Amino acid sequence: MASLREFLNRLEEEGNPEDLCHVTEPVDPADFEVTAVLQHLENAGRYPAVWFDRPKNLWGQPSAFSLVSNLFASRERCALALGLERKDKNLPLSLEYARREERMIPPTVIAPAEAPVKQVIRRGEEADLRIFPIVRHHEMDPAPYVDMTPFMKDPDSGSYNGAFLRMMYKGPRRLGLHMSPRHNWQIARKYEERGMPTPVVVVVGHHPAFYLGCLNVSPFGVDDYHKVGAIMGESVRLVPSETWGEAIMVPADAEIVIEGQILPGERDVEGPFGEFPGTYGPQRVRWVVEVTAITHRRDAIYQDVFVGHRGNWIMGAIPKEGSIYNRIKGVIPTVKGVHLPLSGVGRFHCYISIDKKVDGESKQAAFIAMGECDFIKHVIVVDGDVDPFNEEQVWWSVATRVQADQDVDVIKNVKGNTLDPSQTDDIMTAKMIIDATKPVRRPFAARIRVPDRVMQRIDLAQVGLTGPRSKQTAPASAE
Amino acid sequence: MATIFWVTCPRCGGKFYCHTQDLRHTDWKLLCPFCQHRFHQDESPQIVE
Repeated sequence: MASLREFLNRLEEEGNPEDLCHVTEPVDPADFEVTAVLQHLENAGRYPAVWFDRPKNLWGQPSAFSLVSNLFASRERCALALGLERKDKNLPLSLEYARREERMIPPTVIAPAEAPVKQVIRRGEEADLRIFPIVRHHEMDPAPYVDMTPFMKDPDSGSYNGAFLRMMYKGPRRLGLHMSPRHNWQIARKYEERGMPTPVVVVVGHHPAFYLGCLNVSPFGVDDYHKVGAIMGESVRLVPSETWGEAIMVPADAEIVIEGQILPGERDVEGPFGEFPGTYGPQRVRWVVEVTAITHRRDAIYQDVFVGHRGNWIMGAIPKEGSIYNRIKGVIPTVKGVHLPLSGVGRFHCYISIDKKVDGESKQAAFIAMGECDFIKHVIVVDGDVDPFNEEQVWWSVATRVQADQDVDVIKNVKGNTLDPSQTDDIMTAKMIIDATKPVRRPFAARIRVPDRVMQRIDLAQVGLTGPRSKQTAPASAE
Repeated sequence: MATIFWVTCPRCGGKFYCHTQDLRHTDWKLLCPFCQHRFHQDESPQIVE
């Protein structure tokens, strides 16, 4: 069965230090020491998954749990997670995600005795969050945060929804929960309107394909356990929760599951928190989760995401790229690629390449992208000769094929994202389309190129290509 | 992003920001993220909005 440890074992066997590193000395996650390691690596241009062997728990003692972070900080690792090859890391990865997202694989219910996540069960006062190496990420975060995926169940349709949400440690059995007005927010609102607590199941540690599956962009009401199974390529194994039994099911192959309930009508201050744009979201008045039970594997691995950094951006980009590509292809069959680059935190910028046949197709493609994903602010449409995964090429295209008075459109007062620090309105944002394609209806300069026939004839391995000559070996001068 | 106001903690002098609609001119005690002090915004030596 797919699990976090199975994926990590694969990386261990491959032995590539750019894919997986261990930190063998003790670190204190609650005192920023985990994120300091990750920041140092990032400063050096390195993005391995990092497995901390000896993190401290919230008592400052050696934790019984090791800790993994940065797992998604490489598109190649995400390709491996979906069973693809490293070379498929760009558009093929996004398209494979989109292909799987069209499907549903129903979950499988197993007996608790078979479920690894039930190896240790802690209920009531024993369900103490301080046993975990919970990470405090950035300077203005007021506390350690659990930043993996709470699952909630829609009381009307019975469908589950999972999403990455920030959860602030507020006490041994208490978490502050931030939600944007999306699917889990809708579910919690329904329970609260009925005066009922909202059951929450936080999945901390699972196969990376499980979490990529949680980021699917399906409509509200589509069951995420089915969608996650489709993305993973295998049925998600479920087992009854400790708190609600079969009424709320939890993933059997998770490392850790935290069960709790959002208390109706109860709020508390939460944040600030270093968020995905690389800026802090402000302190707010948010929901409170009371922890009811914790279950985990005997040697469970605690998982974390370095929010606001590369892994957070890549995992946000992949699910959207494929679905946007498919929607555009329905209208513009010559679309060649879609990319949400790191420079746009995997959400705010969208590069689309099309083999444009008639003028106007660029803007049509941009509208589709913005309609498909409300995160997207800036769309750059380029010709098919430009690789949307090559940012230098994209901006060369803007430099040479754009006249701002003719090719740039700004659309005001569109729903944006509450965490975009540039927004001057609470909800609404401005969007921009840059059409960096060549016009079809008038002559346009051709791009320079070395003739193909000569490029094919010349092989670098055959031309005597060497490094620089030292003075001693340089040819004698004519003097 | 939503409108924010910057607050200075009366105990440690740390500066952080809050969501205006949620917290400005309310009775909620703010939480200083640097020293964990809970305080009413009227106690802040400086609020920038």
